[in-house]
Amino acid sequence: MNVIECGGLGKRYHRAWALRDCTVAIPGGRVVALVGPNGAGKTTLLHLAVGLLAPTAGRISVLGREQPGSPAALDGIGFVAQDAPLYKNLPVADMLHVTRNLNRRWDQQHAQARLAELGIPLAKKVGKLSGGQQAQLALTVALARHPQLLVLDEPLAMLDPLARHDFMAGVMAAVAEEGITVVLSSHALAELERVADYLIVLARGRVQVAGEVEDLLATHRTFTGPASQALDDSERLRVVHARGGQAQAHLLVRTDRPGQPPPGGWESHPVSLEELVLAYLREPEAAALPGPRPLRDATAMTS
Amino acid sequence: MTALTAPGRPGTARRRPVPWPRLAWVTWRQHRVALAGVAALLGGLALYLLIMGLKIHSAYLAVASCHPAGSAVCEVTGRPFSSYYHTAQEMTILLHVIPVLIGVFVGAPLLARELETGTFRFAWTQGCGRLRWVVAKLALLAIAVTAAAGAFSLLFSWYYQPFFAERFDGVLAPQLFDMRGVDFAAWALAAFAIGAIAGVLIKRTVPAMAASLAIWTGLDFGTFLFLRKHYQAPLVVKGSPSYNNPPWVTSQWYIGPNGATANQQTIRNVIAHAPATVRNSLNPNAATAYLSAHHYTQWSAYQPEIRFWHFQLIEGGWLLLLSLLLIGAAIWLVRRRA
Repeated sequence: MNVIECGGLGKRYHRAWALRDCTVAIPGGRVVALVGPNGAGKTTLLHLAVGLLAPTAGRISVLGREQPGSPAALDGIGFVAQDAPLYKNLPVADMLHVTRNLNRRWDQQHAQARLAELGIPLAKKVGKLSGGQQAQLALTVALARHPQLLVLDEPLAMLDPLARHDFMAGVMAAVAEEGITVVLSSHALAELERVADYLIVLARGRVQVAGEVEDLLATHRTFTGPASQALDDSERLRVVHARGGQAQAHLLVRTDRPGQPPPGGWESHPVSLEELVLAYLREPEAAALPGPRPLRDATAMTS
Repeated sequence: MTALTAPGRPGTARRRPVPWPRLAWVTWRQHRVALAGVAALLGGLALYLLIMGLKIHSAYLAVASCHPAGSAVCEVTGRPFSSYYHTAQEMTILLHVIPVLIGVFVGAPLLARELETGTFRFAWTQGCGRLRWVVAKLALLAIAVTAAAGAFSLLFSWYYQPFFAERFDGVLAPQLFDMRGVDFAAWALAAFAIGAIAGVLIKRTVPAMAASLAIWTGLDFGTFLFLRKHYQAPLVVKGSPSYNNPPWVTSQWYIGPNGATANQQTIRNVIAHAPATVRNSLNPNAATAYLSAHHYTQWSAYQPEIRFWHFQLIEGGWLLLLSLLLIGAAIWLVRRRA
């Protein structure tokens, strides 16, 4: 089941398109990283998926074939918005109580156990918690609803390195224990490298890269060689990004034959996810997308 | 519709909505400080009205049971009652701020704060859905503030009753009309609704509070200055209407000897030729009598007291309609905001 599926999806604010012509199918059972420069449309895509926004063009369905914002979609998706907005004037216990009363499904024990484990006192006001604790509380509140899909918008932006680590550990524990799908947008490439198994790169409101992290890493290499020696794109090889000093050039290439030795004079190295993402972010025109693939049961999505 | 005609889709089959009492608890929990503020304000003022009301009623009893009325003894007996009247007049003016305080401190922040702090992104992605969430908030708080204002205005009516009984004021007097009957509750509801819609449109708490203060005040003044007197065509009488049953005189004018309406300047010129005894008289009837002798007839347009409930229902009715429209618009905006 695809947790988010969109075809030709677009969102326009006044006259500017925040997201354009977005066609992507995000498979379930993964940790999906959504990256891209500021203003690329990440938040817009996530808000469309959780039903906070309505599309200007195209269509989007979630959790198979549910409309975002429908009761089934609301029940099945836990969302932590950017900066983890919560009612800061409420004590933590009342924040839990409020969320319980706003939902059909709620696991009070799960929430309390998690907060106890994190050492977040129930009597303290939400606004008095540290940034890391507030993010953890927002995550707890989302997880206690036992969603199928957890959507996190820039959850790490305001956190210090330790809090980032703890937050992602919490997310990964939920993935391991409950098998939920996570879609998170972030700039923290190093953190994503450890957890993500599906990557989507958005640039200028369009999907630039979409694929399994494992596949992406397998089909991309860094070639180093003499700067004087040109290496042109070929059928089997595409240079995504080239950078070089006077003597040596570093090329990030996409190839469907990763095992094959590089052309003469060049050395081949594996790439990290961070290198790969950076290369694509520097070259917004380059793309690595799955071939044209019809959306599964596209007619059902419009109903 | 039966189960046969509604083929169930997987995952959407029979989701019972989140029950209203649970949403009511959320509303109560999040707005109990604002509601406590309203309760403290109205409760404190109600206590004052109760204490003063008892004093006024006992003073009135002394006046009413004093015989013979108008005697020197009765004049002394009536003094406390008259002094209470002045206090009551000032208090009445002060109490007019209650509805707008409700609009500013309960209505305006209700949705503006969610939009301003970003918590709407939390609230609108919970299982109950944003429609039920906003309906629960607006409906419950609207009922609460209207009921509180209604109860308060009943108490006010009792408090002020002796002054009506002694003909100190007419029930249609502008400063009293909107404190009584259904009007006070309707103005409180309208203030709440104006605050709520301002909050959704402006999306920031303090500007929304300022806007609702300005809009409500404009509406209130506009209504009593220009609108209320036209609810029903006024009655017209030669001279002044009887003060045994004080009506609400909406305008007065003079018809001159030529049969046309005399303007202010003409009247002033006629009065200027009057003897000093007339010009300096404290009795307004002296001038009227002088004018009458010179063929200038006074006419008055007025609304009789008997129209009180008719006017109450007209004003309460349109305010209720306006409030429901504004609350409906706020719900619609929350629902479609995308």
